[in-house]
Amino acid sequence: MVTRAPAKTFETVVIGEMLGPHAIVITREQARNYALACGMSTPRFMSDEDARREEGLPAMLTPGNMTLGILAKLVTDWLGSGSGQLARIGTTFRSFVHPGVELTLHGFVTHTDQAARSADLDVWMENEDGERLVVGTATVAFGPAE
Amino acid sequence: MSSDEYDSFESGRFEPQEGRQAESGSEQAPERFDPSLLGKLFDLTEPVTVTAQMIRDYCAAIGEDNPAYNEPSPDDQLLTAPPSFAVLLKRSEKIYRCMPRYDEAFAAGQDLEYLAPIREGDRITLASSMRETYEKTGRSGKMSFVVLRSTLTNQRGETVAHIDHRFVYRS
Amino acid sequence: MGTILDLHSHSESSEDSRAPVEAYLNWIRLRRDERPVDGIVLTEHRKFDRDADYRELEDRFGLVVMRASEVETDYGHMLVFGVNGELLHRFDFANVHLNAQELIDAAAQSGAVVVPCHPGRPTIGLWEHYRHREPLRNVVAVEVLNGGSRKGEELQSRELAETHGYRMVGGSDSHLVSLIGLCATRFEADIRTMEELVRELRDGRYDAIDFRPGRRSPQRSHTASDV
Repeated sequence: MVTRAPAKTFETVVIGEMLGPHAIVITREQARNYALACGMSTPRFMSDEDARREEGLPAMLTPGNMTLGILAKLVTDWLGSGSGQLARIGTTFRSFVHPGVELTLHGFVTHTDQAARSADLDVWMENEDGERLVVGTATVAFGPAE
Repeated sequence: MSSDEYDSFESGRFEPQEGRQAESGSEQAPERFDPSLLGKLFDLTEPVTVTAQMIRDYCAAIGEDNPAYNEPSPDDQLLTAPPSFAVLLKRSEKIYRCMPRYDEAFAAGQDLEYLAPIREGDRITLASSMRETYEKTGRSGKMSFVVLRSTLTNQRGETVAHIDHRFVYRS
Repeated sequence: MGTILDLHSHSESSEDSRAPVEAYLNWIRLRRDERPVDGIVLTEHRKFDRDADYRELEDRFGLVVMRASEVETDYGHMLVFGVNGELLHRFDFANVHLNAQELIDAAAQSGAVVVPCHPGRPTIGLWEHYRHREPLRNVVAVEVLNGGSRKGEELQSRELAETHGYRMVGGSDSHLVSLIGLCATRFEADIRTMEELVRELRDGRYDAIDFRPGRRSPQRSHTASDV
């Protein structure tokens, strides 16, 4: 469990503000459990052995939508339990994300909209070589001022 | 996000229909599309009922430990799903059976617009259309893209999310 | 004086980017001490935004914004600077199989210049095509620094440039706001217009410059203090 960040308010959001970097490792078990929770029992998500034997892949894969979920969590963790809500997230799966690899999650606030009380962010997941495997953008909305 | 970046993809997770053979010899998937599919709205799915167990399994799988998604609301004792939960409700859609060579497609990305919370007990209906097709070249060669849009509606008729699923075929 | 330009970027006008031009410029302003670029060139994928007008943003941020294209050819991806009516008439920029040599020659004849980008990248880089085909004629420069490079690709790009005597440029290839300006090109001349950029790319003096953390070009401190 992590200590929860204080609730983010629109007034405290600053362009340039950084989310992370957070180091994570997605375990094979996590990737498999996610796939099973989604009803995807395809060999590539089950084990290295299944992925190699059944699909000729070098190792098992992390489901793409799981990486979207992890980047969405980077944003919602940063928001905390205030009025800020994730309104949109878009990701591009550039490369295979193999479980067991050391990954880092990154994010930046890139834009704020005073009228809409919203903010845009860049988010991405990179490997140890700094190669961005999954990249995306997100919008958070804070609702009307109190 | 660059087209230059695609090395490899999570493969699409579509089960081939019984009796259907993977087609071969096609160079460009979009050429094989029936143009009338573009923009066509596919049949709505049967509603999926969101259970507490589904939300818990999802939270456990992505390591979501935020009390907002793990503890029932004090008001009605029901769980609220994390926003990204929406992307996993697309399974039963018939649209995928209309995609040519859909068993060869790879997931290239997703864009989720989240409009209202999905909560325990909700019955979510999906409606999908084929939005766009285009081509580009990347690290792994020529790629043909198909974008499907799903709209998720709850039992009160509220739109809870739009999801664009981008799929790529490599030739 | 001189000018530092990020020669390769994609705004929300490209189908795979959601970055507004204004957010790019604001980001450069915020990070000017670490990425001292004077402007950016928008190289939208497979298209040219003929009617886009960024003059108000240029004035507001004191930065240059130019419009170019990234197209796809039989020798990989290429940046086209100085896109003009003649090129747009002759080539369908959306075609992913443009003839590279014809494009290079037509550009040279019409006041434009073509710069192959990320030449060390598999499939869409010049290097791989040169392994089994004749080198292209009249290439003046290639992009040796690209913000989206994978391990080893830039080494390959630089080797190719050195082997063929091509000059070297850099660009971020940014699709995200926060990645703008991380790779760029430093020109000795002052450049404010596309005409000047084309002229300098053909005949001027310039070099690729790296502002990525941990990979900064040795010239950086010199350049930064100049700006």
